Amino acid sequence: MPKSVIPIGPYHPLQEEPEFFTLTVDGETVVDIDVQVGYNHRGIEKLSERRTFDQSTFVIERICGICSTSHPFAYTRAVEDIIPVEVPERAKYIRTIIAEGERIHSHLLWLGLAGHFLGYNTLYMWVWKLREEILDVMEILSGNRNNYAMFKPGGVRRDIKSEDIPLVIKKIDSIVPTLDRLKKAILDDPVLHARLKGIGILTREDAIDYGALGPTSRASGVAKDVRKDAPYGAYDKVEWDMIVTETGDVFEKVIVRVLEVYESIKIMKTCLLNLPEGEIDLNIKDIPPGEGIGSAEAPRGETFHYVRSDGTNRPARHKVRAPTFMNLPTFKVTVIGETISDATIILAAIDPCYCCTERMAVRNTKGKKIYHGQDLIRLSQEKTEHIKRKMGIK
Amino acid sequence: MTREEILNDLKERFKNDIIDLLDKSPKRVYIEIKPESLVKVATYIFKDLEARFNTASGVDARTHIEIIYHFSIEYLNVLISLRVKLDRKNPAIDSLAQVFKGANWIEREMYELLGIDFRGHPDLRRLLLADAWPEGVYPLRSDYKEWDKKAIRDRGV
Amino acid sequence: MKLPKIRELLEAIKALIVGPYTSKFPYKPHIPHPNFRGQPIYNPDKCVGCLACEEVCPSEAIGHEDITDDSEPRRLMIHYTDTCIFCGSCEAACIADNEGIKQSNDWELSFFDRKEAQETIEKELQLCEICGEVIACKDHLKWISEKIGELAYSSPSLYFSRLKSLGIIDENIISAVRDSGRSDRVKILCARCRRETTLTTR
Repeated sequence: MPKSVIPIGPYHPLQEEPEFFTLTVDGETVVDIDVQVGYNHRGIEKLSERRTFDQSTFVIERICGICSTSHPFAYTRAVEDIIPVEVPERAKYIRTIIAEGERIHSHLLWLGLAGHFLGYNTLYMWVWKLREEILDVMEILSGNRNNYAMFKPGGVRRDIKSEDIPLVIKKIDSIVPTLDRLKKAILDDPVLHARLKGIGILTREDAIDYGALGPTSRASGVAKDVRKDAPYGAYDKVEWDMIVTETGDVFEKVIVRVLEVYESIKIMKTCLLNLPEGEIDLNIKDIPPGEGIGSAEAPRGETFHYVRSDGTNRPARHKVRAPTFMNLPTFKVTVIGETISDATIILAAIDPCYCCTERMAVRNTKGKKIYHGQDLIRLSQEKTEHIKRKMGIK
Repeated sequence: MTREEILNDLKERFKNDIIDLLDKSPKRVYIEIKPESLVKVATYIFKDLEARFNTASGVDARTHIEIIYHFSIEYLNVLISLRVKLDRKNPAIDSLAQVFKGANWIEREMYELLGIDFRGHPDLRRLLLADAWPEGVYPLRSDYKEWDKKAIRDRGV
Repeated sequence: MKLPKIRELLEAIKALIVGPYTSKFPYKPHIPHPNFRGQPIYNPDKCVGCLACEEVCPSEAIGHEDITDDSEPRRLMIHYTDTCIFCGSCEAACIADNEGIKQSNDWELSFFDRKEAQETIEKELQLCEICGEVIACKDHLKWISEKIGELAYSSPSLYFSRLKSLGIIDENIISAVRDSGRSDRVKILCARCRRETTLTTR
């Protein structure tokens, strides 16, 4: 039987790496996958070497628009590791609050888009409305809905005003009831179960072998989370649970993310209520020669930064490792053997970016028909409809 | 095993391979090893000590090229960095991609950005750079000069 | 299956009553929260033209232009709103009590021509009275002399600019001093000319 090659991509500009997937399919089933990245390579590491330590924070922040806090978090920790210093207690709490707010909005964003791919557009609109609430909270706390510009080596740039805290807590609390309903809607829905259970399985061994990170690995039963393993910020001062599930299919990844939102809300609230008084910045003037390593748990997994200083005011080398860099190659094991209509949601399950899907082009080498990203989503949505009909749900 | 035991064990087991062991802080250990013993040491740390491979950082240190392989041992909260120093003229080292798949991409990245040859890599081709990028130009080398004269340079770039 | 549908229905009814979450922006102005960090705006009265903001700006969104061939030498402080990332580094680095440039609540930045995407203020510039080299903005020299207090009297450039700004001396007095010899010492000079006048004896 002739095999067809389906190219997906290349634009994928939301994550660090836009990708170009080449799916080789045999009928409906994917038999091979190849990933090509680098379409959005901006030379951030080189760029960072031309900026001062302070200015680099802003370059680093713009690596990713969604997890714009985890990169500065890891970077500032790496710079602080060179000296080495501990940032003031209040700065630690503020950093934690911002990082958790980001995790909530990132997970909700993912959840909404996953709903969209499956043809569950109610979920999509519902979750994104909920996400607005968190973005407003971030605007109150940091002054911006995204790219918060809060971090600097040695502390934070902006203090949280005590008069804002009651309003922020009220807003965070207000999303919990909706989130409860949402969680039940996902858990109850037989269609979602049929679509997501048992597909795109990443086994525990593969997760370790590929070095998968974050919710992608935690859904496969690998209990690794930088916040627990190497506590930083205020994570060792508040109580929270690491969410780990066993099977590693797409459904479990959804569950991990939804439950993590609850944990994040818990951490954020505890930190806001127990915000210690004191300095927020150490005013670091000089960075001595040396090397430092910093890591932070981004919504997608561990962000890893290695910074080397030669005593000047610019980094001599700055290595950035984003979580998707480790998560992306796992497609090789998750997508193979699944159908094309499931490929979208499996590719989406590690939480890369979604702008790409608008530009996906599917070409069947044997036939004449050319599909685009819209058609792939339609294929996925049609499958959901089909399942609904089979189950007798209108 | 505790942190001390692991370090002593490493020192004992690889006493012919380790050049220098720097115990920088409770969470950070830097071990400089001979380039030819990398696979041996890395396999032991990954498989037997159950460390997680974080990533590898390639650095052009002007006199030589350094690769620093970062492994974190979660249950001890220690980050072990294996440092190898390579000849700058002809940097080459054995690939780790056969030992664990997580090293595949980062080696491809270092191959194109620093020009390091990874012997035995299953699929050593470009990862990030554009197809039009000339051969033999390595952007993260310290002597890199901009080659593209037509590139648009605007304020802020 | 009925339960999720009822939940969705409840949410839909709620949304009908409350209305959409988004603001009706083009028809009604959107007012952000007071904490919002918007576009930085120069305060011409407070800014001293020291260029600290240009130095720290990570996206090179602040520049300057010195106009010296005019009868009124002046420095144009330029803020390019198209490359600005609203990080607030300029405000944090401002030497004039962080008030020379301040982030506003303004976020509407659309323009048709990219050349329009800049805001400028003018600051009077002090030139060296011998070689015509730019020393600093007049306000900057004044700011330094106020900052260092009586130490300013160790530098003629500083105390002359201070006395001038206070209106205590004017050109008549200076020209009267000039006639009595060594007039080059009672001038506002750049560092190089100052060194030359001090070293050479005529």
